[in-house]
Amino acid sequence: MRSKFQMLGIIALLAFILVACAAPTPTAVPATAVPAPTKAPAAAEPTKAPAATTAPAATKAPEATKPPAPTTVPTPAAPAPKRGGKVTMAVWQSPITLNTLLGTQTVMDEVLVFLQEGLSKVEPDGKRVPALAKEIPTVQNGGVSADGKTVTWKLKEGLVYSDGKPVTCADFQFTLQAWMTPGVGVVSTTGYQDVDKVDCPDPNTIVIRFKNFYAPYLTLFGNDLLPKHATGDPKDMTKWEFNRKPIGTGPFKLDEWVADSHIVLSRNPNYREKDKPYLDQVVIRIVPSSEVAMQLLSSGEVDIMWNNTEADFPLLEKMTGVKISDPLQIGGERLFLNMAENKDPSDPKKPHPILSDVKVRQAIEYGINKQRIIDKLLFGKAKPGTNEINAGFFQCADFKPRGYDVAQAKKLLDEAGWVPGSDGIRVAKGSKTAPDGTRLRLKYSTTSGNKLREDSQVLVVEDMKAIGVELYIENAPSSVVIGSWDGGSPRRHGNFDIIMYTTNASIDPHGQMLNLFYSKNIPSETNKGGVNYTRFNDPQVDSLLDKAGAEPDINKRRDLYCQVAKIGQETTNMIYLYQRLDMDSYRDRLLGWVPNAWDNNGWNADLWSLK
Amino acid sequence: MTQYIIRRIIQALPLLLVISFVVFTLMNLIPGGPLAAYENNPNITPEDLERLKKELGLDAPIHERYLNWLWSVLRGDWGISLVTRRPALTEIMERLPNTLYLSLTAFFFALLISIPIGIVSATRQYSWFDHLATTIAFLGQSMPVFWLGLILIIVFNATLKHPNGGPLLPGGGMYTIGADFSFEDRITHLILPASVLTFFSLGTHIRYMRAGMLDVLHQDYIRTAFAKGLRERGVLLRHALKNSVLPLITIIGLEIPGLFAGAVITETIFAWPGMGRLFFAQGIERGDYAVMMGILMMSATLIVAFGLITDIVYGFLDPRIRFD
Repeated sequence: MRSKFQMLGIIALLAFILVACAAPTPTAVPATAVPAPTKAPAAAEPTKAPAATTAPAATKAPEATKPPAPTTVPTPAAPAPKRGGKVTMAVWQSPITLNTLLGTQTVMDEVLVFLQEGLSKVEPDGKRVPALAKEIPTVQNGGVSADGKTVTWKLKEGLVYSDGKPVTCADFQFTLQAWMTPGVGVVSTTGYQDVDKVDCPDPNTIVIRFKNFYAPYLTLFGNDLLPKHATGDPKDMTKWEFNRKPIGTGPFKLDEWVADSHIVLSRNPNYREKDKPYLDQVVIRIVPSSEVAMQLLSSGEVDIMWNNTEADFPLLEKMTGVKISDPLQIGGERLFLNMAENKDPSDPKKPHPILSDVKVRQAIEYGINKQRIIDKLLFGKAKPGTNEINAGFFQCADFKPRGYDVAQAKKLLDEAGWVPGSDGIRVAKGSKTAPDGTRLRLKYSTTSGNKLREDSQVLVVEDMKAIGVELYIENAPSSVVIGSWDGGSPRRHGNFDIIMYTTNASIDPHGQMLNLFYSKNIPSETNKGGVNYTRFNDPQVDSLLDKAGAEPDINKRRDLYCQVAKIGQETTNMIYLYQRLDMDSYRDRLLGWVPNAWDNNGWNADLWSLK
Repeated sequence: MTQYIIRRIIQALPLLLVISFVVFTLMNLIPGGPLAAYENNPNITPEDLERLKKELGLDAPIHERYLNWLWSVLRGDWGISLVTRRPALTEIMERLPNTLYLSLTAFFFALLISIPIGIVSATRQYSWFDHLATTIAFLGQSMPVFWLGLILIIVFNATLKHPNGGPLLPGGGMYTIGADFSFEDRITHLILPASVLTFFSLGTHIRYMRAGMLDVLHQDYIRTAFAKGLRERGVLLRHALKNSVLPLITIIGLEIPGLFAGAVITETIFAWPGMGRLFFAQGIERGDYAVMMGILMMSATLIVAFGLITDIVYGFLDPRIRFD
């Protein structure tokens, strides 16, 4: 019978399993690989040396945080960018749409940044620079009216989309119309709902007329310009072909998108800067997990891995030919201290028996060893948090982190009327906020299942025990912690003492500052959507924020936010634990990479080239 | 016979209705939902969330949403994916061919290999071949799919090299991105994931085939056939095979709906763009009710349908069973 052949096969299979068991590195992450490219890209033709201004930032090596390699001689000067070649980026999340009006995933933006541009963009230092516009409108250059309600942008000359059709002011009118179309589920109308209309005195001039002053007016019409000719009726937005095949003015255009597999982008021949981009192709590979992406990066099958975490560092640092990009992230992990009594949600302003005392709150911050959390849990790859605005243009310069100081913490607690009890945990004796005999015991919650958070809870609880504060942990799934008022979310109802999670920030901190510090945003039965979870309530801060919300001058606005951030830090309604790094990694054959925490990896892809 | 089929179909309808109601309710009880991903996004204000809820119909009470869903399904509309805002059916149909391509291949090879092994195993009971086959069946059933998948990747992708210098077999994806269509490329990408799936179902199939064959071999008519001096091959193929596959038919009937739903783990390990990943990553993780309902109802309908088909096939193969 034929069973001999079958047996042969079976024996071979068993043999392979045995071989596999004896494989040298069983812990190695699996490779999910395509065969090596069969052909090298066509020999790159040498290009004319680019103008001085276009030299990619290869001179600023983004390696400051890495110890210098001991043996390799530093390469002298950056070679002139070579034309041609393909770069592959691995992402481990599937984009669900490429219409930014309908989606909010970061991975969507990672793709779109290659394809679409807006009026302006933000550089690594948080400064806004023109993209499609000739210059950034300000009150000084006449682009912004004195009341801030009229903003005029001028487009660069001769702009066309990747399909060759011109970019005109009518596209901006159309974009606004699309943002404000009801019933299609546009994700956020913030800002656009304050616009009355867009006027077009000529095709290259865009006059945005606001109904109400909107402080972050420069952030509108970012990477979301919709070409009217390539889309359709805004009412049918969900059915647009554009959502799967967007067109823009970016350095690349979309060739192919296979769901859950890959996206192929190729050079936009109509890009506004001649001779750019240098690369022919950018391929985005959608892989199932970050482990797979790591393996592909180490074998050189992909050039860029998106979104690393601190835990990847030990492996990444061992890989040869891989560089790590790690600018500081904006926003960060923090503790929200509930300043209101949490048993009585009908009155969100009733003071918390323990945490309403500023000295107690400050003592808690002095008592937490933030650096230990960073060193033990984040491989040292993060920074202790200081205040609300910790990076970029709006960064407030003169902030010092409140250091780790056990003696100071104990002193503050003594002063606040909390004395150590028989078991070391303090009890109230002469406290202004709690009756004598109250135990200094607080509920400490975060999203369950998040290992980093749960581990850091253990460290914080230890730290607190050392100064006589007892924390008990009560975690819940993130969907519960983050949920809605009607869903009974504890943070909305104020049913917590301390809650820990990360908030991300936008380029313009206006919304974030209002959310966290404005008293009108305290959630309650009548204000179910409120997001001022610490119940921070300070008339001085309210008036500062009111002023900021009516200030067209961006520099003056920064000062106002910094004053609020300063008050926030002094009153310690939030404790900023740590600020993580925005980590990505790439192979060193890719030149021109400049990290930018404000934007996505491909923000300067027109300058990328291959060695 | 026709009457029986009609009766079974009519019986199936209320069953599917109940299934859909239970599944819909359970799904909506899971905390989170399609808007949970937006909750911590600084660009999305609470007013935006309220507006989205209304526009996407998520603010209606659950029974109303169920009835809406039911009504549109009856008209052939499976709803709009709340995540991608495309028709759920489009999302599913985009992945279905990929999944079928993989799972049908594996299914075909599993049958092709398991039936002869099962027959030989039964006829040479307690021989070394039988022991080997039983061991393999045991391994196939008990070895975790992800473990086998990773081992195959380590061996054939990371360790063994192709003469041209690359890995011997690709470890993921359906084809080489950017390359022109090539038959060879498709096949090489298929080998590893299909082997994992084949090996997995091999275990069950061999055991059922062997058991069925053993059962039949002890019947009187087989003994009679041998007594008449017929050759072994003739007896086995002509007299025994038809009856011995009956238990296997039941198993196959239950397996086929699973082929459509996709193999979540295998598709994940091998980056296969199929239904399993759609269901898991988009459906469950992001709370995409329309897509989840689509896939679950498709599986439920298939299970009911193949239950019926299995029964009918039984009737043809086993004259003892009648449907009157």
